[in-house]
Amino acid sequence: MSKLMHWILLLAIALAVLSMPGNCQPPSPRRPPADGKPAPPAARLPDGKVDFGGKGVWAPIWVLDWADKKWVTEAIDVPFTPAGLALFKERRGNNSKDDPEGYCLPAGVPRYTGTPYPFQMIQLPDRIVILYEGASHMYRVILMNAKHSADPDPSWLGESIGWWEGNDTLVVDTVGFNGRTWLDYVGHPASDQLHVIEKFRRPDLLTLLYEATIEDPKNYTKTWTTSFKVRFQPGWEIKEYVCLENNKDLLHLGTKEPK
Amino acid sequence: MTTKLKAVLAAIAALVVVAVPMLAHHSFAAEFDPKQSISLTGVVTKVEWMNPHTHFYIDVKDEKGNVTNWDLETGSPNGLSRMGWTRHSLKEGDVVSLQAFRAKDGSSLASARMVTLADGRRIFAGAANNDGGPGTTGPPPAK
Repeated sequence: MSKLMHWILLLAIALAVLSMPGNCQPPSPRRPPADGKPAPPAARLPDGKVDFGGKGVWAPIWVLDWADKKWVTEAIDVPFTPAGLALFKERRGNNSKDDPEGYCLPAGVPRYTGTPYPFQMIQLPDRIVILYEGASHMYRVILMNAKHSADPDPSWLGESIGWWEGNDTLVVDTVGFNGRTWLDYVGHPASDQLHVIEKFRRPDLLTLLYEATIEDPKNYTKTWTTSFKVRFQPGWEIKEYVCLENNKDLLHLGTKEPK
Repeated sequence: MTTKLKAVLAAIAALVVVAVPMLAHHSFAAEFDPKQSISLTGVVTKVEWMNPHTHFYIDVKDEKGNVTNWDLETGSPNGLSRMGWTRHSLKEGDVVSLQAFRAKDGSSLASARMVTLADGRRIFAGAANNDGGPGTTGPPPAK
């Protein structure tokens, strides 16, 4: 192979690595675009708040384990309760065969941000709406500056309220879960006592800094916080994703019910 | 174009394709066996360009002339289309070659990885480059 071809191949490898937005690699420090210029700043709304929208989508990596440094910013020694640890070990022991996602059930909060399906955020004066492509096509409403209901009906995504810390940090507080979701693919458990506080920041146009604090006294002895980055894909749109359309995997997964 | 240059360009195409994020919605390890890699060549009999996974079926003839219809699972249409596939990439009657991993339950189902299309393009079809399948960085083993 000639020298020129060696260089072409090396260039291709470099380009491929640089073009890996959310391809399930560990989050790395801010990656400049392929042209070498730093990413432009995030847009602002007329009230000065950062705009999490724009022409494109957020394209998460598949964060298989929300406590493993392979995928998140810092490794976490998860403070399991005995019951939480037993459930987690059971799921690891059977290769996550009972994962609700295999049944096309909603990933829930906060897992949606760590599934490999794009999402878009739409900011309205009194609410922020997140449109998740998968799995399956789902929407989420975050009511701004609202209070939680006294007794919300248990649900997959829970009840989310939000507020701003300054102009740069969106904080979302979610309760009212049904206890049927998993926090991640490896099976960190979540009960109906789950309480999630998320922080969304956009330090530049192409980067979402995402942080989730997990409180769940049934499964964890204290709260724990994890974080990772999500890359913006300019020009992409979310697509229809109807998971139940042709879900043949259940016939082969050896599972009888989502657990 | 020289053969070498063609090979280099094919390598570039493969790298760029592999670098695009992909989708999956269930456990690879619970359904497929990473130790049972197979290579198949056959004629496409049916294509299901549907979520959560595209499936296509090929008739494969063994040395005795017996034909088996294999069910090949790939990524979702959403993920595949972002990798360069279209719903026209595979058509009934096409002859394709592929590498795949068999289902653990012994059925004629397999998770297709690299597929050589009828037009010669070689393309990654895995559900996700991180679904726990071989050559990927799957979840850690049970502790």
